[in-house]
Amino acid sequence: MIELTNVTKKFGNKTAVNNFSLHIEKGSLTMFIGPSGCGKTTTLRMINRLTPFDNGNIIVNGTPINDIDPVKLRRNIGYVIQEIGLFPHLTVFENIAIVPRLLKWDQKKIVHRVEEIIELVTLDQSFVQKYPLELSGGERQRVGLARALAAEPEILLMDEPFGAIDPINRLKLQDSFLEIQEEIKKTIVFVTHDINEAIKMGDKIAIIDKGNLIQYDDVSQILSNPANEFVENLLGQDRNIKALSLKKAKDYVLKDGFITVLDTETHETIEKKMKDKNIEIAFALDKNNHLKSRFVLEKATSNKRQKFIHNPAPWTIERQNNINETLSKMLEIGENQLPVVNRKKEFVGIIKLSNIFEEVKKKHIISEGKN
Amino acid sequence: MSVPISILVSVSLGFYISSRPNIAKYVINVASIMMTIPSLALYGVMVVLFAPFKLGLGIVPAISAITIYSLLPITRNTYLALNQVKPGMIEAARGIGMSKNQILWKIKIPLSIPVIMSGIRIAIVMGVSVATYASLIAAGGLGYFIFAGIGRANLTMVLVGAVLISALGIGINYFLLKVEDWITPRGLKVKR
Repeated sequence: MIELTNVTKKFGNKTAVNNFSLHIEKGSLTMFIGPSGCGKTTTLRMINRLTPFDNGNIIVNGTPINDIDPVKLRRNIGYVIQEIGLFPHLTVFENIAIVPRLLKWDQKKIVHRVEEIIELVTLDQSFVQKYPLELSGGERQRVGLARALAAEPEILLMDEPFGAIDPINRLKLQDSFLEIQEEIKKTIVFVTHDINEAIKMGDKIAIIDKGNLIQYDDVSQILSNPANEFVENLLGQDRNIKALSLKKAKDYVLKDGFITVLDTETHETIEKKMKDKNIEIAFALDKNNHLKSRFVLEKATSNKRQKFIHNPAPWTIERQNNINETLSKMLEIGENQLPVVNRKKEFVGIIKLSNIFEEVKKKHIISEGKN
Repeated sequence: MSVPISILVSVSLGFYISSRPNIAKYVINVASIMMTIPSLALYGVMVVLFAPFKLGLGIVPAISAITIYSLLPITRNTYLALNQVKPGMIEAARGIGMSKNQILWKIKIPLSIPVIMSGIRIAIVMGVSVATYASLIAAGGLGYFIFAGIGRANLTMVLVGAVLISALGIGINYFLLKVEDWITPRGLKVKR
């Protein structure tokens, strides 16, 4: 999809990018990471010809990019930068519609597309008439992503898109971005200086230092076989814990061991259903599949009678949350199982602490056997 | 009168120098020096300059002088306005595939309008007071009342002239503020 061959870029005497060769696969999310000034952003900007390169070749979709008119090339590549990229004098609608308009789509198609894309980035349709200054940082970032995706480019370049967002909202944005990517399957190059972000988001990571490409591999490979000390230091002492973050809640979602009921049913009916099926947990959903409450039927013990507990507004885990975040939440609230929802807050299943341990144990036996 | 000429000249000058910082330095310096010349002296210079063409008195030197005066505020504000557009914004515009012209017309100009407009407003209001002297070189105008009044020691006449000129200045300023507000893109005015 994107092929860099021996690409070199010098600024004066300083070599910003030294003889890079890498192949970025279609549909993959590749993270560029390294200290500031290492050449990661320069490399990104060379792909859409914002920065010209001195030597080597970059091929996008089979065509050398120097053979494509830069303006045309850029219209077919989504580009997201920190939040300042939105145009303050244009409404959200106009911001998103800007590339389709440059490409001269007809108005009907644009209106339809904007609606669709607003839905995709989980913003409310009422946002389209607002101006960027009226939005929060996270909302602006979603609009920025929507704008980059509007003209349906196959490739997306993202330059520290979440850099200016506070840590809590950054995690949320990462989660919903991963869900969106699962749906759209774009080829994405993503620049970051946050190693946790790189591990969490990336299919592959390119580690760059002082203009040199140090290591380019699958995330799990990098975590288990760091190429040198620089990579080791970048990953940190806790890389085994970090490796946990490669697994997502969705990988451990269970669809049994509980029942779902309608939130309109009476508590008596629900209790009876649970007893009949000998099930301890039930989730009440509304007609949009949104989780409304949880019911627990505690087992009777010798000195305790069976107890039926109603728990409105239960804690949830998003399916894109990684196992780090999931475990941390379980520790925080002292539950060993949590309901899982997707980014539209629809109920998808349940995740159990015991099940995570089972799976990790199995993996260990397998990988030890291999070595 | 001289305002449209001045806007035309200064705004285009501002655009021209906005992407040429080396020239911009000189242009703005020269315009600043022009502004330090006392207005009366500038009229004098104009009269002398235009005299060979038999245009020494009257409307032509007056208009030229006022135009030169309003050059600085408009040129400088246009230059600053176009350059205050954040580089990140222009990067984003380039990155999504806008051509140079599109960036100028769809991004830079709308974002610069408030600042350019306030330069024009300052220039015009200043022009009104400078124009007072125009009557001295037989170009007429409200200044006539003041100078005629001084010549005849007629306080009422001076006051009438002064009040009328102030009223004109205030009126124009108010009107231009409205125009400024009206042409500023709505998105730039919203409060967080």
